Amino acid sequence: MEDFWYEVVEVSQSIADGLLFGSTYALIGIGFTLIFGAMGKLNMAYAAAALGGAYAGLAGFVLIKAPLVLVFGISAIATAALGYAIYFTCFRFIPVNNHLASLMASVGALFFIDEVVVHVTRGSPLTFPSMFGDVYFELGPYGIRGDLVFVFIIGLISTGVLLYILFRTRLGLATRAVAQQDIAAQLCGIGVHSTNSVTFAIAGVLGGIAGAMTAAAVGVLSPVMTVPLTVKGIIVAVIGGLGSIPGAIIAGLFIGGFENVFLYFRGIDERDMYVVALLFVFLVFRPNGLFGTAITRD
Amino acid sequence: MHLCRSMFRLNVKEEIKIMKRLFRGVSVGLLGCALMFSALTSSAERSVKVLGWGAQSGPLKSFGVNSETALRSAVAEINAAGGVKLGDGSMVPIEVIGYEDSACKKDQNIAILRKTASTTDAIVGMGTTCSGSCQAMFGVLQKKVGDASDSGLQMPILADTCIRPGLAKISEWAFRNVPNEIAMYDALFAWLSQQHPDIKTFSGGTETDQGHSFITHTKVIVQAAIRHGFEWVGPAVPELGPKVGQGAKELQAAAKTQHWLMGDTNYSVQARKIKKQNPDMVLVSSHPFSACGFLKEMKRQRVKPKLLVGLTSSASQETLNGCMKEAEGIIIPTGFAPITPAAQKANEIVSKAGGFLDLHSAAAWENAYLVKAAVEAAGISANPENLAEDRVKFRNALAGITAAEGLIGPVTRNAEGEADKPYVFVQVVDGKWEVIHDPRG
Repeated sequence: MEDFWYEVVEVSQSIADGLLFGSTYALIGIGFTLIFGAMGKLNMAYAAAALGGAYAGLAGFVLIKAPLVLVFGISAIATAALGYAIYFTCFRFIPVNNHLASLMASVGALFFIDEVVVHVTRGSPLTFPSMFGDVYFELGPYGIRGDLVFVFIIGLISTGVLLYILFRTRLGLATRAVAQQDIAAQLCGIGVHSTNSVTFAIAGVLGGIAGAMTAAAVGVLSPVMTVPLTVKGIIVAVIGGLGSIPGAIIAGLFIGGFENVFLYFRGIDERDMYVVALLFVFLVFRPNGLFGTAITRD
Repeated sequence: MHLCRSMFRLNVKEEIKIMKRLFRGVSVGLLGCALMFSALTSSAERSVKVLGWGAQSGPLKSFGVNSETALRSAVAEINAAGGVKLGDGSMVPIEVIGYEDSACKKDQNIAILRKTASTTDAIVGMGTTCSGSCQAMFGVLQKKVGDASDSGLQMPILADTCIRPGLAKISEWAFRNVPNEIAMYDALFAWLSQQHPDIKTFSGGTETDQGHSFITHTKVIVQAAIRHGFEWVGPAVPELGPKVGQGAKELQAAAKTQHWLMGDTNYSVQARKIKKQNPDMVLVSSHPFSACGFLKEMKRQRVKPKLLVGLTSSASQETLNGCMKEAEGIIIPTGFAPITPAAQKANEIVSKAGGFLDLHSAAAWENAYLVKAAVEAAGISANPENLAEDRVKFRNALAGITAAEGLIGPVTRNAEGEADKPYVFVQVVDGKWEVIHDPRG
């Protein structure tokens, strides 16, 4: 009986940890889904740009002894700039209907950003400052990391701000209009390219915060994080429903908890297998994800 | 008018004679110059060519960058001291004709090896650092020298680490410069059991996607700790024993929930499992990035073992860059520390060149001197026409060098071809690596 309760505590603790850490997946997933929602295209370089921004924030911390809030700010601004650059290099001049070309261009951008980071840092892991890293709430048998609670709260606030921009501002209206029918939006006087570039920049701000928070949660920043985060971000965006922000949030938290449970029971060798199997199940039985709109042919 | 004409004729004849003489003189001069130039250039251009490779991109870039810097620095030192002596007695420089990017990926290493063997004049390939890559690369070499039935590549390889035990038996063309990891961890735990009698129990984890870390942890480190009286308190593995590899498969299956991957970002489950086991000593058999991630998670969860032991590959600057505070106190055995005048000098030279001398790059430095020793013992010609013959002579000479002076002591090679370098135990003390014990006394 004691073993049973021990297992209950451990499993629920793993789920709680996973849910909190899943907020970083959710933020990355939101970035993927936001760009897909606006343009109907995947920006594969999103997570790489997010980590690139986090490196810029770290540079601010090391070079000018920037306070942590500023580190997050620098990360957000740098990722916004990278997002803007990615839009211009991988999407702006590629024909709208050539989805494969922009997808491959963004894959190229992913590796380019990653290699630039590797070149500058020689691939060495670097300590990233953590906010509330020493805070640890102990509630009976449970323990909750203060920094992950902070990540969770910042994730919720960022999402709230993003939803406000999308649904309560003229910019958000323009973004939604371009996403729904770009030609009609253009006829209404909305600049499609300017709206798309701003969408990339906004997604970049979110990505910068996500990158910095992920690095803060791990405590270390390294180029080895790029590909796993890209994969998790895409899985989250697909399971949540491409284009759905609430879907990305719920899927991010869900994936975080799901992978921790399988890590607990089945170990590291099988953890990702179950996550990818979940993606497969969604693609087969619910291709629009949790909250995505039905994909139809024009 | 007539006189003028005859004078003109005379002048023309004379001019033709002069021109003929001049032509002869110039021709002879040019021929002489050409012969002299050819003789000079053939001597000046002759060099012992080597080609290096390692990770120049990807997350393990620091391995390749440091090894290249160390190799080039050592070669510069050798050349400044006169170079190497060929079979005909002439002194020529060693020339590093390139340093390729293998990114510690198996396919890239094999491709570079094939290219080096077939399209370059390199007498030896000097790469790489990662065990998995070496294992794959050595597999395409001829297994036994002179075996006509084996069409494998006949190219000497001198790797700068590839520490996983047992790789030497793959091919007689493959050579490494590494400590014996089994002996190294055995000596470490023997010493720890004497120094820390209060430490009774241990547990730990590793990264399963890195061959060296995973195999060393499950086959070597855990068994060595058991051999010296420490009790494993991780998941129950009845087969686990003190012999090398005893119960390794069972351990791999039982302990997989406290392992991680190199690119992981969340270590909460693993750290909590180890916290629950409450071991006196924790093994973190992992490369710097994930070792740092795990150490930071242990700190957050207030896991405070009395002692931390790490993987030899993490005795590097990268660990200090990533988690200096959390790694404080960790003990790691390593094949390099600046404890001798030669090691200190090499360390200084490589640092000035922008590199960092550690277990891996120090081996690259020493390898340059091994090349010099083997070339001089082989008496090679360094002529491209004799390349295949020179490679065989070089390999045989290298195989014959069973003892050489390394940076911290003699490097030996046993009958199976396994290298055995001296090693020391280092610890992070006040944010710096310090040598805490030299098993040689």
